[in-house]
Amino acid sequence: MADPGLTPAVAEFLYREARLLDARKFGEWLGLFAEDAIFWVPAVGMDRAYTSEPETSLNFIYIVGRAGLEARVFRVESGGSLASNPLPHTRHLVTNVMVDGESAKGIAAFANTQVVAFCEPRGQQILTASYEYLLRREDGQFRIASKKVLLLEYLIDGYFDFFTV
Amino acid sequence: MNAPTLLRNRGSFADYIDDRPAEHVFRVDRTIYNDPDILEAEYRNIFEANWVFLCHEAHVRKPGDYFATHIGRQPVFVVRQSDGSIGCFLNACGHRGATLITKRIGNATEFVCPYHGFCFNTAGKCTAVSAPRTGWSEQHLVLSEFDLTPIARIDSYRGLVFGSLSAAVPSLREHLGAAMALIDIFVAPVPAELEIVPGFSIYQTSCNWKIMHENGPDAYHAPVVHNNFAQAVIYREKREARSGVARTDTGRLTAGRLESASYDLGNGHTAFWHKRPNPEAFPVYAQREELARRFTPGQMEWIIGRGRHMTIFPNLLLNDLASTHLRTYRPIAVDRMETMIWCIAPVGEPEEMRVARLRKFEDFFLPSGMATPDDVAVAESAQKASFAFDSKWTSMGRGIDFKIEGPDAAARELGFSPQASSNSWDHEIAMQGVYRRWRDMMDSGEGRRNG
Repeated sequence: MADPGLTPAVAEFLYREARLLDARKFGEWLGLFAEDAIFWVPAVGMDRAYTSEPETSLNFIYIVGRAGLEARVFRVESGGSLASNPLPHTRHLVTNVMVDGESAKGIAAFANTQVVAFCEPRGQQILTASYEYLLRREDGQFRIASKKVLLLEYLIDGYFDFFTV
Repeated sequence: MNAPTLLRNRGSFADYIDDRPAEHVFRVDRTIYNDPDILEAEYRNIFEANWVFLCHEAHVRKPGDYFATHIGRQPVFVVRQSDGSIGCFLNACGHRGATLITKRIGNATEFVCPYHGFCFNTAGKCTAVSAPRTGWSEQHLVLSEFDLTPIARIDSYRGLVFGSLSAAVPSLREHLGAAMALIDIFVAPVPAELEIVPGFSIYQTSCNWKIMHENGPDAYHAPVVHNNFAQAVIYREKREARSGVARTDTGRLTAGRLESASYDLGNGHTAFWHKRPNPEAFPVYAQREELARRFTPGQMEWIIGRGRHMTIFPNLLLNDLASTHLRTYRPIAVDRMETMIWCIAPVGEPEEMRVARLRKFEDFFLPSGMATPDDVAVAESAQKASFAFDSKWTSMGRGIDFKIEGPDAAARELGFSPQASSNSWDHEIAMQGVYRRWRDMMDSGEGRRNG
């Protein structure tokens, strides 16, 4: 059983993460991740079930190690990606935060999100997801060891990226 | 303003294609991307009149396995029948026309309509109706009247399943023609069967289907649109010190001019290849010694040394560039299309190879990747600009000056005979073949319709 005082602290951490994304402070956002962090957005199979073996299945995004996330940030900030230029503005609506438990591996936390993205010329895109986090305590702060994003709208209108889910 | 005239006022679809080989000009009228009448004519004369790609045999491996898809506007499902053959039926109950198969894939020996409970077997025969005795006298209940409607033709080549709603088509082999040798190279090097890796992606794009179909054979855009992909991957590889198959062959995007070629394969099919700057980054490289015992040095150059890409008109893309990739697509409105993509790989390959293949697939090809979103953004912007009627023409003339009629040396080595070859993957010769095929199918189809 996790410390009941943990839920508000975890929620505040998740809200801070969302706020950094919405403010496009991607460098600070990367700082929330451990060096060996996993960022995973499963795809679905033809049977509409999420893929469960990330190594040997197709995923929307499966990044092991912060360098892969840094490359994503590098790309959208490069100015060379037409899909990211203009960069959509986002608002992450993070809710239903629950701490599922704490073990030697870290704190398992759950949340729901709805992310509204807007830019010209594509207009509004709304993506809805559940988050499953594993958070580590490092130097009195949380670090994201893994972030799994279970996307509701797997039939994608156009495209999406790490900051619009 | 020079607004588009209605389709019925056009004499011929040749009006949309400015094809003057002697003057080295090839252009298409941008109206073809935004006129709803043209899409209707494409459904009639292309998608519902000739061979289209349906699925891979691996999607329907076992008896009862089914795969629901579309041929043009028409919903169909492919099914592995009890005798092991592959059938395809219109996905509409023979009674009142409800959608019979509502999942994308599944397995069943009997299909029960969700509306009134009519039952069908994998051969499309109606086997039972609900409450038969109280609805029909015995002599008037003829189950076969409710049988599902099969499509006119179904056939497969090297695991790729194609169907046609029209019976008046040449054989599939005749339709594929010169493309078969390239499909063989895609499939044949590895003795193992190919499988569809778990997971797929489906996405909709706000552009005419032909804009994305053109994007396939168009390697000219890659160093421009995907330079940011290459730079992001190079950044990551420096950070992580990647080696071997974990590396991505970014050289094809950054090396400047590479040895390469492109082909108009005939019947609207296209292909290109480029020399791989880093062949060791591909899983097949590890099998080079075994392969060298079975293939000639010329064939080995095709298998190991070259990234390869092909499109089969009108709805299949196969490539072995960053990863091994199967893609199909369909128009759903004049300015909207739907794409499905899969990673395809040899059964039983070592996990290290499978993992590298998948990660590179995710990097590039998905709507959540680092390259496909930029293709989608470009295609959608081209769709908007197609309404610039006063500028009218889209040019596809690059490379005409270097065009070779028939095969080049590399094509002869592999043993296929394209309509035309060119000595660069960034030429537009192959797209010209696409639009000549488009023009001819549209003209002959409308000709049949109008007598």
